[in-house]
Amino acid sequence: MPRADIERQRDEKLLGDLIPWAYQRSGLIRETWDAEGVTPDDVTSMADFHEKVPFIDKDAIRSYRDRHDDPYGGLLCLDPADPTMKGIFSAIFSTSGTTGDPTPAPFAGRGPSMLVREFWELGARPGDHFLHCLFTFRGPSIHDTIRGIGATPVFVDHQPSDIEQVLRFSREFRPTGWYTLSGPLIMMIEEAATRLGIDLQDAFSSYRGVVFAGEPIGPRARARVEEWGLELFIQTSLGDVGAATECREHDGCHMWEDTAYIESLDPEGTAAVGDGTRGELVSTTLIDKVAPLVRYRSDDLVRVTHEPCACGRTHGRVHTLGRKGDEIVVEGVSVLPGDVWGAVESIDETNGLFQLIRPAREVDTLRLRVGYATEGPGGLPALRARIEDAVNEAVGIRPEVDLVEREVLLRQGPPHKIPRVTKA
Amino acid sequence: MTFAAAYEDPPNVWGVGRVLVGDEIVPWAVSEADIDDETEVAAAFLRDLGLRADELVLIVSYLSQAVHVAPFERAAGVVGALYSSADASRFDAFRTASLVRQLKPTVVIGIDDAVLDGFDDLDLDPGEALATVNAVVASGTAAQARLSAAGVTAGFWLRLGALNAVAGPGESDLRYDATRWQVDEADGELLVTNLATRLTPSDRFRTGFRGHVPTPGRITL
Repeated sequence: MPRADIERQRDEKLLGDLIPWAYQRSGLIRETWDAEGVTPDDVTSMADFHEKVPFIDKDAIRSYRDRHDDPYGGLLCLDPADPTMKGIFSAIFSTSGTTGDPTPAPFAGRGPSMLVREFWELGARPGDHFLHCLFTFRGPSIHDTIRGIGATPVFVDHQPSDIEQVLRFSREFRPTGWYTLSGPLIMMIEEAATRLGIDLQDAFSSYRGVVFAGEPIGPRARARVEEWGLELFIQTSLGDVGAATECREHDGCHMWEDTAYIESLDPEGTAAVGDGTRGELVSTTLIDKVAPLVRYRSDDLVRVTHEPCACGRTHGRVHTLGRKGDEIVVEGVSVLPGDVWGAVESIDETNGLFQLIRPAREVDTLRLRVGYATEGPGGLPALRARIEDAVNEAVGIRPEVDLVEREVLLRQGPPHKIPRVTKA
Repeated sequence: MTFAAAYEDPPNVWGVGRVLVGDEIVPWAVSEADIDDETEVAAAFLRDLGLRADELVLIVSYLSQAVHVAPFERAAGVVGALYSSADASRFDAFRTASLVRQLKPTVVIGIDDAVLDGFDDLDLDPGEALATVNAVVASGTAAQARLSAAGVTAGFWLRLGALNAVAGPGESDLRYDATRWQVDEADGELLVTNLATRLTPSDRFRTGFRGHVPTPGRITL
């Protein structure tokens, strides 16, 4: 689709439909706009949108939730008791809850999501089996999407306890697509295959593509998966209004601009930053009329580009760098988890399991808590020194490393990720 | 087949889940029609538990249990209610507790031993965490007993082969729909046979559970 068409559709959906809808029905949007003295009548162009529309963020949603005893944080635009909503507003799912109470996410309607485009890009086709490896709290849309491309879901749990079934069902049903794989799962698959004597290249030979999600992937884990013959398609959240996923060019995650308007703004201000520059992702849905987010400051640091992709798509791409709230400044140097990821992961005993300890944004010392599976040659003192050397080489700062058995860290997160930043 | 054709005409197989026979895992394919048919039975059970229109049932389960869980999810809609979901894992117990607090479900189905372990980790008393819930249904006899010890009279949900067998709080026997399923005993083991058409047939399918069938439609463990 030519970019002019993408932008024309965006303007029509956003200005003509979504904004009046959200203002009239969402308590949070109305409260936020009223406080700024803005109404939908004031927003008749994208220039107005950029100049006048106020931001919301996770804190605003939680504050509204607490003040109004409203689990949906003032975002719900539909009345569950409305008889016309029967069969449409069907369920309430929730966010992962990595940073606090899981946020209820109202779900309306059934049928395939925009991920049909991604699953087709993976190479899954009608008649195929597709490994559905996830949780229950994300709702039925992945199942509906797999069926929407004509494939059959094969259900496995994204849990350490179900790794053997991941391997078994991969060999028995020969799926072509897999949603999703994560860092902890890679680690557990590797161990299970060794224990069971399974050739992973053979077990996974049917897959044409695998979506990796939950957290960034380090170079070691990526190399391991590529040894298994899997082609990974990285997926990242698009400011809670959708997801962005790599194409076969693997040069950024495509954001579907007919479903969301994505801005990249100065993380400390409101000005737009240019393509290729680090900014904070600010999202506005174009299609979600159940609980629409409008100018939602996601806290995600990204680089966005609208240059045409070699795959032929004209929709923009996003490269995720980290979270604004995760940034640590040590001796004037900004450090995000992604900056030390490869260094920690390069030490085999760690499997890349680590946390940055962030009591405040600006600290005097870079402190890491690192999980280990084995002590390695020389015991823990030598392991600690190797990690410190590797991190120092990567970011130019010698860290203090607190070593813990890896289970200590794995217990802190859901099965697909661990909190990479902790206060203490 | 083109993308558009596939989009409009999904395959007959709804999905491949599993049934458990003791420790053995048997892959199990079900159809859309299977799910629809089981939904009728699940809806009757939810109504008996007190779920009404505009209320909410929280279903605690695993994705691998999808072929047993989907009828309950759809049944919520048949009743005119909503559903929400949490994993039945020790780690995700915090979600069960949080969603009970935030969404105030009328019914919670599927509390298992792992979730109760998770409550322990969180220093949550099950009786307090579930105090606002009208009807709690456990998954597993151990969980039912632990809930009872915490002052929660819970029902019981058993995945018996491909069949959902359920008991409401205070009911001693499990129930199943005897027009759709036949349950027999052989040397004390419960065997399941489908009477209604199912994509994957069960013909005196060994379930690995020991029990007694006092009358069709009732099971005593």
